[in-house]
Amino acid sequence: MKLSGIKYLTDQGIENIWKNKMMAFATFCVLLISLMLVGASVLFYINIDSMINGISDKNEIAVFINNDATQERVDAFGQELLALENVEEVNYVSKAQALENMTASMPDYEILFESLDGDNPLPDGYSVKVKDFEKVSETVEQIRGLSDVKNVTASYDFVEILRELRKIVTVVAGAIIIALVIVSMIMISNTTKASVFARREEIQIMKYVGATNAFIRMPFFVEGMVTGLFAGAGAFLITWLCYNSVYGILTEQIGFMNVIGIGSVIPFSSIRIAVLFSYIIAGSFVGALGSVICTRKHVNV
Amino acid sequence: MVELKNVSVTYSSGVDALNNVSLKINDGDFAFVVGSSGAGKSTMIKLLLKEIDATSGVVTVNGYNLSKLKKRKIPAFRRTLGFVFQDFRLIPSMTVYENIAFVLRVIDAPIKYIRKRVPYVISLVGLQAKTYSYPDELSGGEKQRVAIARALVNDPQLIIADEPTGNIDPELSYEIVELLKGINDQGTTILMVTHEHDLVRHFGGRIINITDGEIVFDEVIGGVNEA
Repeated sequence: MKLSGIKYLTDQGIENIWKNKMMAFATFCVLLISLMLVGASVLFYINIDSMINGISDKNEIAVFINNDATQERVDAFGQELLALENVEEVNYVSKAQALENMTASMPDYEILFESLDGDNPLPDGYSVKVKDFEKVSETVEQIRGLSDVKNVTASYDFVEILRELRKIVTVVAGAIIIALVIVSMIMISNTTKASVFARREEIQIMKYVGATNAFIRMPFFVEGMVTGLFAGAGAFLITWLCYNSVYGILTEQIGFMNVIGIGSVIPFSSIRIAVLFSYIIAGSFVGALGSVICTRKHVNV
Repeated sequence: MVELKNVSVTYSSGVDALNNVSLKINDGDFAFVVGSSGAGKSTMIKLLLKEIDATSGVVTVNGYNLSKLKKRKIPAFRRTLGFVFQDFRLIPSMTVYENIAFVLRVIDAPIKYIRKRVPYVISLVGLQAKTYSYPDELSGGEKQRVAIARALVNDPQLIIADEPTGNIDPELSYEIVELLKGINDQGTTILMVTHEHDLVRHFGGRIINITDGEIVFDEVIGGVNEA
């Protein structure tokens, strides 16, 4: 097909959208919402994934020892830890070091730490790394069984919650995606039907003068694709705004960020291009596909 | 060239629309097809456009055997034909120029050719002054002239005109047939379906009368103006 022919058909497709404003707008909205919900699910999923990885990477069990334990007991305790099956590495964290770490992690609260005035309330402890993070809960139980343990903290229970959440998101998002694809297809199909109806005289004449089916369908294909493209672009902008505000709220939660590891929540700037392209490609693909399926049914020589 | 060999058409409702019809129209002929409504004229037109298929028999148009023509070859076949309809079938949102250029766009003609060819066929039907008018601004006769220009624009071997004078004032009908005659003089085969006997008697030529699905008369008669 010649370039002038393609330009002509593209113009016709865009004219279809204009002639069919209300239907095109309805399709645009449905597609936009569908894309956004799908996009939100995907973004949620990859963030949970990133958080799980962040926590696993830190892979740390903090073990605190009773304040009244002697230095010998503290040293022996380290050996006991190392003897456990799933323990890979044990690092001694002294009272002083623990305080230093805490001061460094909360720079805004410097005054609070200064007010301690040399009195350190923190216990001695060990930072334990495990070989297999999947088995971390058993290891924690074993550590709790040792004598002189004051407290054991690990973020594994949070990881369990995230894993569960990821499972739920996968199932719910899957269902949402299937439902939305169907709804979008029906909407596009109806819009195309209306626009085929609006052009029925032309289509009739086109058939009589020997237009190929592909030629007749092309404007509807363009119509669906362009509507999808705009919906993709719109979904991108809204997602951008929403994502950034959620990102802002999350990253302000210092405690939370400490648990999951700074950098585990993905900043939008690092996925912007990928999100934009996914939306635009998905939007135009669904739009074009819907109109192709519909015109196959309604436009026939 | 149009050839029907022992063609019958029976609709699924059981109605026999055409019954063992044989007919040959040679290249360069001008033929009138007459008959009362319901006699089978429309069925014959639909057959020639490959809108319907013959129940039995062979239909050949411009070298295409229509009973064997594959669906995807239909566009190529239809490009060898021109049609003129009783109700003009112009696209109201397009100017005269665009209505005609549309046909060439559909067959993917080069834009340069479109720019030369469209004004030429408009001049053939004498509507230069109306080139950029919309169909609503034209009289019935003018609309039909646009439709004829549209049928002519891709230089078809055969033009099928289905009651082209049906929606036009009688005095303008002669003008339309004159125009078709003029096109025929240039070598294009013309098949014109009509039920206006006055017109047929006036022009004469080959007359094919279909009654109750059968050809009851097929002869060349002298027209009044030629007698």
